[in-house]
Amino acid sequence: MLVHSRAGKLAVRGVFLLLFVPLFAVPLLVIVAASVSTNWSGAFPSGVTTEHYAAATSGDSLKALTTSLVTAVSASLVALLVGGWAALAAASLRARGKRFLDMLFMLPVAVPSVVVGLAVLVAFSRPPVLLNGTRWIVILAHTVLVTAFAYQSVSAAARRLDPMYEQAAASLGARPSYVLWRVKLPLLLPSLTAAAGLCFALSMGELSATMMLYPPDWTPLPVRIFAATDRGSLFTGAAVAVVLMATTLLVLLAVSRIRTRASYR
Amino acid sequence: MSSTGIADKGRTRRVPPIVWALPPVVVLAPAFLYPLALVVRQSFSPDEGGTSLSPYGEVFASQSFRDALSTTVWLAVGSTAGCLVLGFALALVIAFVPFPGGKAVARFIDVFLSFPSFLITLALLFMYGTVGMANGLWTDVTGADSGPFHFLTTPWGVLLAEITFFTPFVMRPLLAAFSGLDTAQLEVASSLGARPARIVRQVILPEALPALAAGGSLVLVMSLNEFGIVLFTGAKDVTTLPMLVYGKAILESDYPAACVVAVVNIAISVGLYSLYRMVSRRVGA
Amino acid sequence: MTGPGMTSPGATPGGIRFDQVSVAYDGNTVLDRLDLTVEPGEVMALLGPSGSGKTTALRAVAGFVRPSSGRVFLGGRDVTDLPPHRRGIGMVVQQYALFPHMRVADNVAFGLKARKAPKSGIPQLVADALELVGMASYAGRYPRELSGGQQQRVAIARALATRPGVLLLDEPLSALDAQLRSGMLTELARLHRELPDVSILYVTHDQVEALTLADRIAVMDRARLQDCGTPQELYRSPRTEFTASFVGNANLLPVTVADGHVDFAGHQLTVSTGDVAAGVSATLCVRPHLVGLGAGPNALTGTVAEVQWRGSTHRLYVDVEGHRVKADLRELRETPAIGAPATLHFATEDAVLLPVGAADE
Repeated sequence: MLVHSRAGKLAVRGVFLLLFVPLFAVPLLVIVAASVSTNWSGAFPSGVTTEHYAAATSGDSLKALTTSLVTAVSASLVALLVGGWAALAAASLRARGKRFLDMLFMLPVAVPSVVVGLAVLVAFSRPPVLLNGTRWIVILAHTVLVTAFAYQSVSAAARRLDPMYEQAAASLGARPSYVLWRVKLPLLLPSLTAAAGLCFALSMGELSATMMLYPPDWTPLPVRIFAATDRGSLFTGAAVAVVLMATTLLVLLAVSRIRTRASYR
Repeated sequence: MSSTGIADKGRTRRVPPIVWALPPVVVLAPAFLYPLALVVRQSFSPDEGGTSLSPYGEVFASQSFRDALSTTVWLAVGSTAGCLVLGFALALVIAFVPFPGGKAVARFIDVFLSFPSFLITLALLFMYGTVGMANGLWTDVTGADSGPFHFLTTPWGVLLAEITFFTPFVMRPLLAAFSGLDTAQLEVASSLGARPARIVRQVILPEALPALAAGGSLVLVMSLNEFGIVLFTGAKDVTTLPMLVYGKAILESDYPAACVVAVVNIAISVGLYSLYRMVSRRVGA
Repeated sequence: MTGPGMTSPGATPGGIRFDQVSVAYDGNTVLDRLDLTVEPGEVMALLGPSGSGKTTALRAVAGFVRPSSGRVFLGGRDVTDLPPHRRGIGMVVQQYALFPHMRVADNVAFGLKARKAPKSGIPQLVADALELVGMASYAGRYPRELSGGQQQRVAIARALATRPGVLLLDEPLSALDAQLRSGMLTELARLHRELPDVSILYVTHDQVEALTLADRIAVMDRARLQDCGTPQELYRSPRTEFTASFVGNANLLPVTVADGHVDFAGHQLTVSTGDVAAGVSATLCVRPHLVGLGAGPNALTGTVAEVQWRGSTHRLYVDVEGHRVKADLRELRETPAIGAPATLHFATEDAVLLPVGAADE
């Protein structure tokens, strides 16, 4: 469209690949390659081994995986409930109330994650609620962080939903609760699952707030990766990172399968 | 006129919408607003007791805070500029110089966005670390003892990682904006004899400006608050505000100071984020 | 279809009444003191251009807009303060609004389930409603698998399944192409014959739909009710210039009332002046198809400005002293040349005297 000559197109594509591949594709490939290498001191890794994966899927690392999964799933579900509820409630409010809820539920996105971690740490290391040192403080922080994203995506979807469905249902005699349950939620299902996937991915990779809060018996994968690289075990770190990426991708894939099944048009 | 009993019951039972908005607010308040308020309060409570501005005075006077503030700002501005240039160029090619696999590239970007930022630093350690690919290649070829790449533990390493990680955040709104651009406009422009550079400047760029502004301000906020990338480089001399919060609170257990830095960080970040919301609402992105 | 007269839970008896209903958004009046009654079993068309307030009036009956003043009655009951789901109406909108995630049968059953109709009766009621619109064999399909016309039928079946006393149709045919539209018009007329107790409020901007279907037409313009009457009344004796030009075609000639006749551009025309005083400016409305070519009573002389062949008729435009007069004539053997002198005439009883600019007040 923009470049018409054959040579020009080739040149543009060449430059594109030269930028794109090393910047975006190579890093991910490097992590995957490192995770199966015994040593990497030259241009290419040397020796193939599965020993890092053995380490990454057993013992503490395996525990970190389940920790991450439990944290991400529970944070996503709670976030979806709270954020989605708030988004749907905001949709039926007047402009002022809507703006207030928007502001309130966007705030956790604007506040740095580290600060969210610090705030939660400060608040729950003292009475009346003592959560410091428990897994709950990690789950709580993750929930706060991803609720904002759930709110954002559900409210965007609710804005796009044509009010005619709601009105048609009301004209047929359906109470608001019946409309919500039988019409709005089913129509929003694709967006709800997308929001859930987003929350899950974010929680799986959350490091900033977690570093402030994690107790020794509740170390999620990102902390585990950091611990490994910090003490020099880069290859184990890479293997754990691959486990993290693979888990995230698998769950996102499953979610998008549900989403295509749930979209009607 | 007679109304039926059912109708009357319905009228009294109807709940105003505002009531439905309360439960989520009631959940969010103790989990987020109360902790945030405590951070602000703590920032005015020095360890000696009482309420004063002295924690602010101490923090603002310290060299480490000033360094962190300037490092944070220049890193954020630098990554934003880099992301805008790189993101615009890449999005331009994907949208207007179509090539086989372009769709796959767009999908790849979506996947890329769902990974945590620190993976980039981890990868860079293998690529440009002291014993990584690049240096390994150098020593293999030249026979030298060590390679020339040592920038990873400097701010430049952080900058590279941030540009890499955040560029897709600029590309996404840009690609959306480009897909709304009428290609007939480009064809007409080129049929009138305009060269590609001119078309980009006069036709595409004006259309892309709102998306660039929205993407750019988002990246500015995110790079300002980035923690994982900086933590993973392990560089002692690269300290940003979020790192300082972490260091003061966890490593030094100096909570009032951590809270002061946190308040400063919140102020900058929330201010910029409001700007982003304003820009993106105006352009409808 | 089992006979009419069956009611299901929540359905109201027929009849709609607007009592001085006004609707305003941000100080902008979109419906101004509407007074209108639709009798049980009557089809009332709300006819007007876009922005005339007709859809707002319908939505006030449905409960989606709240009148800023005035009351709305359904079946004699004041429903102004009732939420839409308690009004017991049926509604069909332009875009059908079928629920995409439900099969046709579930769409039709929706209102019955929402109103808690006895479970055992629902399948029969759904089957009846689908039978009524000829869609019985599509019960298991999803809306996306149906054509526009079929979706429209399902939407009507869904609205009728609860046996509402009032059916609101908001431009129901405007998303269909011309051929389907005339077929659906016939269908709707048949439906109304089969459901003689249902009041239908039919919003449209299309005069053909209104003239074909309605028992009475309410003509709306600029937030106001301009005129209301049977199609014949509105066509033969419109009360305003707006009605005359919006319902059918019209020559609107500026005249001055004199004693027992009116003066138009140097012509004396004999028409019934009623009780209009002499000397008053007025508008004379004559339908083009009632204008004849050649000499006769109420002759108008001028020159031919344009001739259009329209198959079975010729449309003649004749300039009379700077005013263009239209005449629809049975196909002419010899068409007059442009610029040639021509004489037109019309019968005294075919002309209606209207107040000037009633629509422009």
